Amino acid sequence: MTQTNGDPAARLVDVTKRYRQGALDVFALRGLSLTIEKGEFTALCGPSGSGKTTTLNLIGALDRPTSGTVYLEGKDLAPLSRRQLSELRRDRIGFVFQAYNLMPVLTAYENAEIVLALQGVDAATRRERVLGLLADVGLEGLEDRRPDQLSGGQQQRVAIARAIASDPALVLADEPTANVDSETADHLLDIMEDLNRQRGVTFLFSTHDPRVMERARRVVRIVDGRVDSDETDRSEAG
Amino acid sequence: MNVFKMGWRGIWRNRRRTGVTVAATSLGLLTMILYAGLMEGYLRGMEASVLDLEVGDMQVHADDYRENPSIYTRIQDPEALIAPLEAAGLRATGRLLAFGMAASGDASAGVSFRGVDVERDARVSLIHDQLAQGSWLDPAEPSQVVLGRRIARTLAVEPGDELLVLSQGADGSMAYDLYTVRGILLGVSAATDRTGMFMTQAAFRELFVVPDGVHQIIVRRPADLDLASAAVRVQGLAGALDVRTWRQLLPTVASMMDSARAAIVVMFVIIYIAIGILILNAMLMAVFERVREFGVMKALGVSPLGVLRLILVESAIMTGIAIAIGVGLGVPGLIYLSEVGLNLSSLAGVSIMGLAMDPHWRAVITPDVFRLPIVTLVSIVAIAVVYPAVKASLISPIEAMRYR
Repeated sequence: MTQTNGDPAARLVDVTKRYRQGALDVFALRGLSLTIEKGEFTALCGPSGSGKTTTLNLIGALDRPTSGTVYLEGKDLAPLSRRQLSELRRDRIGFVFQAYNLMPVLTAYENAEIVLALQGVDAATRRERVLGLLADVGLEGLEDRRPDQLSGGQQQRVAIARAIASDPALVLADEPTANVDSETADHLLDIMEDLNRQRGVTFLFSTHDPRVMERARRVVRIVDGRVDSDETDRSEAG
Repeated sequence: MNVFKMGWRGIWRNRRRTGVTVAATSLGLLTMILYAGLMEGYLRGMEASVLDLEVGDMQVHADDYRENPSIYTRIQDPEALIAPLEAAGLRATGRLLAFGMAASGDASAGVSFRGVDVERDARVSLIHDQLAQGSWLDPAEPSQVVLGRRIARTLAVEPGDELLVLSQGADGSMAYDLYTVRGILLGVSAATDRTGMFMTQAAFRELFVVPDGVHQIIVRRPADLDLASAAVRVQGLAGALDVRTWRQLLPTVASMMDSARAAIVVMFVIIYIAIGILILNAMLMAVFERVREFGVMKALGVSPLGVLRLILVESAIMTGIAIAIGVGLGVPGLIYLSEVGLNLSSLAGVSIMGLAMDPHWRAVITPDVFRLPIVTLVSIVAIAVVYPAVKASLISPIEAMRYR
């Protein structure tokens, strides 16, 4: 596990991302620079196509920039191989997807423990940690259920438990409340906020949801691939 | 999470897809097993009708008998060759040959006489089992003969009927006698069917006044000795006698059988390719349907090798189930086909290149009948799964998660 205390959780410096769509070059990001400090609870917002998800994908080492540099805990991702990026995602990043993306053949417990298993953590430690996390997200007693036996909100809670199980530097959550009702969305946000405050887990959301933006202590608005506004310390101010 | 456990659960998640894949694969394997058994049975049957019934693996003749068949051109002391041949692990028997006429009522026909050492011949030839009517020769009944089926029809005789035989003895005398038909053969070969008349050697010697020697020694080799080596061994013992393998005696038939084997291989390849495409399609469907899932796994940190391993394990489990089903159905299928066979009686009486066809096409059961299809199936699956597995393992997580 990489430990680079003092460095921000993530930093993007003058990053552009260009996609090829037929004969056209489409710019998702145009020189975006952004720093996410450890312990933040930050929301990226902006209209569709503004570059939110692309930003998350670059920070999450799921994609590479066309130009510019992406750092995770001070480490430049550009020179890393496919395998090293896999290891980095496994060890330092947690993902919460809009569509939950749980492994359908695994139980809630097994889904939550998968990253720890990939890391080679011993079974006893995994069990203790995962059962504790599932209890924290309110899924005690549902450990043996498969995703198709859980509601959308319950699946997203499993996804949150999976994302934080390995104690990552950063949890990237792409529209985590988009597929759930407002009550469930509030509950999910409560869970993530608690994890952020009590355990210091860094969260970065991409969202359209005003509830997420209300809860976020920092809201970065992205428009046309650039940072349009950056409001910090909102909750403290509020 | 154990990859085998995950693979096992993975294949049962979509039961219909797994069912289609396993059904396609096991059906393909079953087809290959039954086809292999039937083809091997066909080739063996063809070879048997040449070697077991008629020609043997090799024949030994005196000097130029083959070029100028004559009742006088004989191997004078056949025992001097047969004994060492049998000591060398080969089986051999002598036959006496001559030509003449046979008549019954108003019908007459040219006859090819074959004087058989009944006891010894049974160890070399299966012709004694090839009877349509009556029974095979009995040394205790030297006045009874067995006829080929067409000559029996020409002479309009059945077992129990008498016929008059006419030829010339080795001493220049007129050879004639009355014989009773003891049996009528099934199809053996065009020549035997049309003209063959089998009698005991004692009867032959008496009719043709041939006190010693034989015209032909038929030799069979053990299964583990190839034809060329056997021929060398026989020639070494036969000295100046004329030794020829069945391939030399019947070059057209040998060439036809080689062609048949080649045609069967081509058919095998075509069938295997067709089955391969079926399996490839099923495997592609199984992998590409889950690309998004593999993308999530990669996003979570599963290495490309880990994804590859999972796909290969799932394919191996499905192939293992398909092999169990294919072999499980193939064994009783082959037992049925080997015992009952396919009834081709509408083709009865047909001969190909002078070789009679058994109206029942029977399969044979050998380890190769299973081994080749299973090895082929595993190879096809390996080839079929490598492309989608490698593609799924190397696809970027973003691309995979967007996959529809």
